[in-house]
Amino acid sequence: MPEVLLSARRVARRFGRRVVLEPIDLDLAEGEVVALGGPNGAGKSTLIAILAGALAPSGGDVAAAEPTRVGWMPQQPALYSRLTPRENLELFARLAGLAAPEAAVGRALEAVGLAEEERRAAELSVGNVQRLNLAIGLLGEPHVLLLDEPTASLDVAQRQRLWLLVDGLRAAGGAVLFATHNLEEARRTADRLLVLQDGRAVYAGPPGDYREESA
Amino acid sequence: MRRVALLLGKDIRTLGRMPALALALVAYPLVIALVVGLVVRYAGERPRVALVDEKGSLPGLLVVGETRFDVKSRFDQATEVDLVPMSLAQAERELDTGRVVAALIVPPDFITKLRGLRESPTLVLRTTRGGLGTRVVEKMRSLVYSTNLELQQSYIDANLAAVDLLLRGGSGTIGRTPFTLLGIRRAREQLRALERAPDPEVAARARELDTFMGQLQGAVGQVGSFLRATANPIELVQEEQAGRTWLLSAQVQGYALALALAFVTVLLGAGALVAEREENVLGRLARGLAGLGQLVAEKVTFVALVGTALGFVLAVVFGIIVEVGDVSGGEPWLRLPLLLVGLVLAAVAFGSFGVLIGALAREAATATLVAFLVALPLTLLALVPAGSIAAAEWIGALFPFGHAQTALSAALYDERPAGTLVRQGAWLVGLGLAYGTAARVAARRLLG
Repeated sequence: MPEVLLSARRVARRFGRRVVLEPIDLDLAEGEVVALGGPNGAGKSTLIAILAGALAPSGGDVAAAEPTRVGWMPQQPALYSRLTPRENLELFARLAGLAAPEAAVGRALEAVGLAEEERRAAELSVGNVQRLNLAIGLLGEPHVLLLDEPTASLDVAQRQRLWLLVDGLRAAGGAVLFATHNLEEARRTADRLLVLQDGRAVYAGPPGDYREESA
Repeated sequence: MRRVALLLGKDIRTLGRMPALALALVAYPLVIALVVGLVVRYAGERPRVALVDEKGSLPGLLVVGETRFDVKSRFDQATEVDLVPMSLAQAERELDTGRVVAALIVPPDFITKLRGLRESPTLVLRTTRGGLGTRVVEKMRSLVYSTNLELQQSYIDANLAAVDLLLRGGSGTIGRTPFTLLGIRRAREQLRALERAPDPEVAARARELDTFMGQLQGAVGQVGSFLRATANPIELVQEEQAGRTWLLSAQVQGYALALALAFVTVLLGAGALVAEREENVLGRLARGLAGLGQLVAEKVTFVALVGTALGFVLAVVFGIIVEVGDVSGGEPWLRLPLLLVGLVLAAVAFGSFGVLIGALAREAATATLVAFLVALPLTLLALVPAGSIAAAEWIGALFPFGHAQTALSAALYDERPAGTLVRQGAWLVGLGLAYGTAARVAARRLLG
């Protein structure tokens, strides 16, 4: 039985009176890739941000097995636009207190193919900014990777590089949760699919069994 | 502390990569200092006053004894006001439109009365009821006083010349009539010659007259001193020296420093925290990298650093100008460490206020606009004279500007600045803590 690395129990979120996420349960186990589907405004980004610890839930709990490290790539790039990719990564690595920040930065830059990039983030293409956004999530070699629409701005080659990375993490016993609008991508990559609509889970199961009308 | 230092390093590096902002941060306070200086300079500037002399009654040349006095030229060169000759009708028009603040009207009999010396000649000063009315009256009084003083001196000199003629004897004129005087000294010489006359009665009369003439000579000899003393029982002697110019005066320096610091730090503080939200990194930082308290502390520190550096540069520039201009008293360089303390405390208080505005506004454009709209009236509020409006005084006391201005002026120029610095420093620290705490609470809104 694979160990559960990250677990959410009845996590919910309200913004004022508006409920954006109804109480929901989710486990991410070793070697598992889970796709998170649903239309815009369904609550996907909110759930991922809560799992990442970037947003406090209004109710429920999130627990990670020790010593699980969780990496997060938000949908909107979260980085300093006037710093270069290396400077961004060094700052976040040092803030995170990584033991060997230079080495961690080097590995993250290699992983996304930005090792030679010297320009500031503001001068990069949208796709390269998204790669940098992913690289920050990869710092510290996380066991669990939470990706919010990771392929939205990537070209074909970079998508392949991303899925290779996901496969590598799965093979190493890690877990990945990614949000997507692309059902084909979910079927091809994920072991499970969780579909949200209006903040509620409307489907949870194998991606291949999901039909739009089944929701 | 390590995380605060890391974010601080990032902000300083980022600032260095925004040349337009860095340039504005340097130019802005200098422009403010210049504008403030111009405002203060106006207080010492010559008001424009119409000079109405339609009959040409201002004497171009007034001969008093041997002294020639040019009243018209004295008025033309007046330093107190800028006298602009014009007709009465034009003066009234310009007075109505505010182009002149007063009109000085010379009556037609002015010259006659001045030359006759039987009655004091008059000048009519017509002013408006505007705010400058009182000031222009003071300036005109000063002009008339100094002209009177110069005229008085001419009359005294003429009287002294007459007394001297009485003592020594010689030729003079009264009006256009020439005359010759024997003089007291020569009269006594002749009396002494008569004292040796063989007729004892003549000799006795001559001795008696000589004694009287001796007393007269002593008394007349004192007239000059009496004239001067009674004309000016208390004399004010003006000595000119290379004092501070309007731009560098002590008050302006303290005021300009506080004003520049207030605007730069409040605006920068308002933008600094919101910039993190606009970069979308608050979520990342919230994942255990940096708490909101650390973030607020870092922003206040960053703004305080920039503000202090800027204020210090401004003070040094002022000082260099003072030294280059060879201004009397020089710049109090030894006070710079004390000034630095005042700058740090003021910058922390202003910065905390700015960060609070940023946390409440949540968005850069709004934060900057709100910071500007709030800082300007609060800055002006602190300038309301103490005791005039209690509410304004209280509200002004809750904003750091008044405390900062007092502390900075004291640090630079007070003979014993410690008491003022401690008192105002305590206010600034208290306000900084209060605003910082409020900013920490409000910053939670940024994560939503």
